[in-house]
Amino acid sequence: MPDAADIQLRKGVLELCVLALLSRGDSYAYEIAARVPTEIGMAEGTVYPLMRRLQTDGLVETYLVESASGPSRKYYRLTQAGRAAVSARAAAFTALAGAVRRLIGDAA
Amino acid sequence: MTQAEFLTRLRRALAGTPPGAAEEIVRDYESHFREGLAAGRSEAEVAASLGDPDRLGREHRAEQGLRRWEAQRTPSAAFGALAGVVGLGAFDILVVAPVVTSLGSVVLTLMLAAFGCVFGGLFVGVFGLLTGMPGAPAVPLLLSLGLMSFGVCVGSLGVLAAAGLIRAGLWWARVHLRLVEPGTGPLSGALS
Repeated sequence: MPDAADIQLRKGVLELCVLALLSRGDSYAYEIAARVPTEIGMAEGTVYPLMRRLQTDGLVETYLVESASGPSRKYYRLTQAGRAAVSARAAAFTALAGAVRRLIGDAA
Repeated sequence: MTQAEFLTRLRRALAGTPPGAAEEIVRDYESHFREGLAAGRSEAEVAASLGDPDRLGREHRAEQGLRRWEAQRTPSAAFGALAGVVGLGAFDILVVAPVVTSLGSVVLTLMLAAFGCVFGGLFVGVFGLLTGMPGAPAVPLLLSLGLMSFGVCVGSLGVLAAAGLIRAGLWWARVHLRLVEPGTGPLSGALS
């Protein structure tokens, strides 16, 4: 069972990964949930509170796409602010990961 | 767990969220089940992959509470936000709780003392005037006004302290639980 610190670390990374996914193309919640959280050891459901928060923070916006077979799907796309956030945070993460890797050295 | 069980537990965990928002949230999970079933997964599989509905509900509540606080900085929004955050960070709270309780007690005592002064002042004034206390009417009136003003002053300080405590609590929540503001996560400008 991952501890609280571990979960917080993954939560921080989840946001960056979801934003990065959206920067490569609009997507809908189920697809995001299926592709991202499990890769970093989190439950698919954690995507949903995250998407709501990203909307509140103005980093993503939603639009509906009609579907021939069933109800319409809610799609997410990045806003201007969202695009800026992705570049900034991806850069910050890369810098951090590089530093950590150097510090860890041969420990892992 | 079936879809119905999952959604029931989720709804229960969402209690306290405004109905409009709660229904929106539930609909998102319903869509998720629909997509999952269409992809050939069973209800049990989808429910398991989503995770614990109680925890998800709490995360949503915390997110909603903070949303409301950011939109309208009212005392009730503050308590709503704190309640949501407390539900989420239960374990961490066990460490901070004694400190918060002590500070809260101090503030409460201040407020009680303030009320005491105000009512005491009122009592002295009325009693002094009615029973013709030596120096009446000036002494009891001045004493009364003095006590009441002091009480109001202490009371105002208590309110400021309470607001400060709530602000500190929410700041702690942001830093510790990373529920708000992109700017406070480890992958943000906080690194620079």
